[in-house]
Amino acid sequence: MALWEKVLKTISFGKSGGGCHWGEARLDNNHLSRVGIVGNPNVGKSVVFNNLTGAYVTVSNYPGTTVDVARGKAKIEGVGIEVVDTPGMYSLLPITEEERVARLILFEERPEVILHVVDSKNLERMLPLTIQFIEARLPVILDLNMMDETEVAGIEIDVNRLEKELGIPVVATVATAGRGMATIRKRLVEYVRNQNYAV
Amino acid sequence: MLETKTTPFRYDESLESALSHIENLLKDSYSVSKRTVSLLLLQGDPEIERRVRKQEASSYTSIQRIVSEARANYNQPISYVIALRRQQEAKRILSTTVTKKEKFGIGFAERLSRTMMNPVTGSLILLIVLYFGLYQFVGVIGAGILVDFIESTVFGEWVNPWVTDFVVGLVPLQIIQDLFIGKYGIVTLGLSYAIAIILPIVTTFFIVFSIIEDSGYLPRLAMLIDRVFKTIGLSGRAVIPMVLGFGCDTMATIVTRTQETRRERVITTLLLALAIPCSAQLGVIFAILSGNGLALITWVMAVALVLLLIGYLASKVIPGERASFYIEVPPLRLPKLSNILVKTYSRLQWYFIEVLPFFIMASILLWIGELTGLFNLAISGLEPVVKLIGLPAEAAVVFLYGFFRRDFGAAGLYDLHSSGELLGVPLVVAAVVLTLFIPCIAQVMVMLKERGIKTALAMTLFIFPFAFLVGFVLNLILTKLGVSL
Repeated sequence: MALWEKVLKTISFGKSGGGCHWGEARLDNNHLSRVGIVGNPNVGKSVVFNNLTGAYVTVSNYPGTTVDVARGKAKIEGVGIEVVDTPGMYSLLPITEEERVARLILFEERPEVILHVVDSKNLERMLPLTIQFIEARLPVILDLNMMDETEVAGIEIDVNRLEKELGIPVVATVATAGRGMATIRKRLVEYVRNQNYAV
Repeated sequence: MLETKTTPFRYDESLESALSHIENLLKDSYSVSKRTVSLLLLQGDPEIERRVRKQEASSYTSIQRIVSEARANYNQPISYVIALRRQQEAKRILSTTVTKKEKFGIGFAERLSRTMMNPVTGSLILLIVLYFGLYQFVGVIGAGILVDFIESTVFGEWVNPWVTDFVVGLVPLQIIQDLFIGKYGIVTLGLSYAIAIILPIVTTFFIVFSIIEDSGYLPRLAMLIDRVFKTIGLSGRAVIPMVLGFGCDTMATIVTRTQETRRERVITTLLLALAIPCSAQLGVIFAILSGNGLALITWVMAVALVLLLIGYLASKVIPGERASFYIEVPPLRLPKLSNILVKTYSRLQWYFIEVLPFFIMASILLWIGELTGLFNLAISGLEPVVKLIGLPAEAAVVFLYGFFRRDFGAAGLYDLHSSGELLGVPLVVAAVVLTLFIPCIAQVMVMLKERGIKTALAMTLFIFPFAFLVGFVLNLILTKLGVSL
């Protein structure tokens, strides 16, 4: 809670107090880079979260709301990262309280990387949200999850081509079986490193 | 600077011009792109409006003007126009990156899925699921055979006599003996209710529920029931918390957060508190009434009627807009045994950790209550009400239990029935009143937290007399018609 208020105070929406504007270098060495996991409900966000974080997880109400947000720590290639599992969202224009909280986390905490987890067999329904993240210039990685079901359904996705079309990293995974999670880790840490040293 | 390399796609000309006008007026810095801030302004996002009004005090009126001019250009809401354009863009990108191999015909899973959502065949499947899943497995096997075995054999023949001998040998004082082995003793009432009656019932229920959940049947059920729910002012989104309510109403009340409007959340919370029995209640009531088909049907009809009636009235009385319904239907899957076992185990663990101390506490409270005479006072207070709805005086105890917890009350009802004190019409009336009756303490706490003190209090004050009123009317109808159950 104390850490929370500090974070909220230093990076309140709009006022780039403390110079912590995403895209700019984070000069504070004690600051853990943050990864926000976002996406529709039921796409495997929590499985991805659990895979990344392991045992050190805390679940608490988002301040001022009754919505639970899970946070955990991960260490990838020696880089410490805080991972936040946001409530399910369909759009940047919130309807439910859950969506409102998910957006608050994106806008106010400004994670260094956003991992957009999607159901890869329903991309048509999923991509509009990715498009909104790109529009907002949020640093997003697209996680095409549930690839096993997509393959069974006879759907083929050209991942490289999709990466070029969107202009963001795209990774195919089966989070429940751990498939592709190593690539996700690599991409996350690349993103975090790039931001920390790009002064 | 690490930014995405591509330029964002474009909306139509008039929207783009509005966007660039607004973007130019946004002078302060924002945590997301000005394009996004402008888009959200156009869509009337109240939170963003508040921010911008604060940060752009001087130009906010100009921004407002641009927004209302842009909106006037379209017949549809601007959020719809924007969503449509994004959808188009998604389609364009996917047309070059995704290929789908056409399969011949539709698979078995797809056919089954459609059968489940079709109003006619779907209702049939629902009945089959209810009959085998709940009635046979939870009611007959769980609440019948298992409870019978654990209660009369394990506790009746082994545990209770052994503990009785032990306690009597240890302390000669009658009062202390009663605390452990008396009518409301920790072992004879608390532990035996928790382990002998509730444990087998919730175990079997959690197994069935995990299978239903893992197979993907739940969202299909939501689609099926959506129609019925619309008539009572709820969308299919309410189905999920309602179905979860059959597991535990407390959990389900928390899940009402997934509903869109406050109005829906209030209606669902009320219906959960009133007319949805939780797993323990359901199992026990099925077990008690399973020997008597007509009694069971009467109970189902009475509770369903109350659910629909109150839902309908509430949707008329409580103001607010109706929500639209949209749900993701995942593919049907064959549930994995290991997953089901793990899920059932962890749910049981959670439930038991919560319930066991509670049952022991309740035993102690009842013991104190009996010692001080408060218990008898409360019972004699309830007795006239209980008698008014045609029940024997002993039933007052059950309602007092129900105050503590739904499942505790249900266990008490089971006890009363198996000792032959409650049969026929009074039994059905008691079951109905107990189902509608006050939600358990945990649920009231959650209601307070989620809905606020005023709403929660109003609901509780409504439910309490209403449950007895329904019991009174039901008793009147059944006895006047001369129905013997």
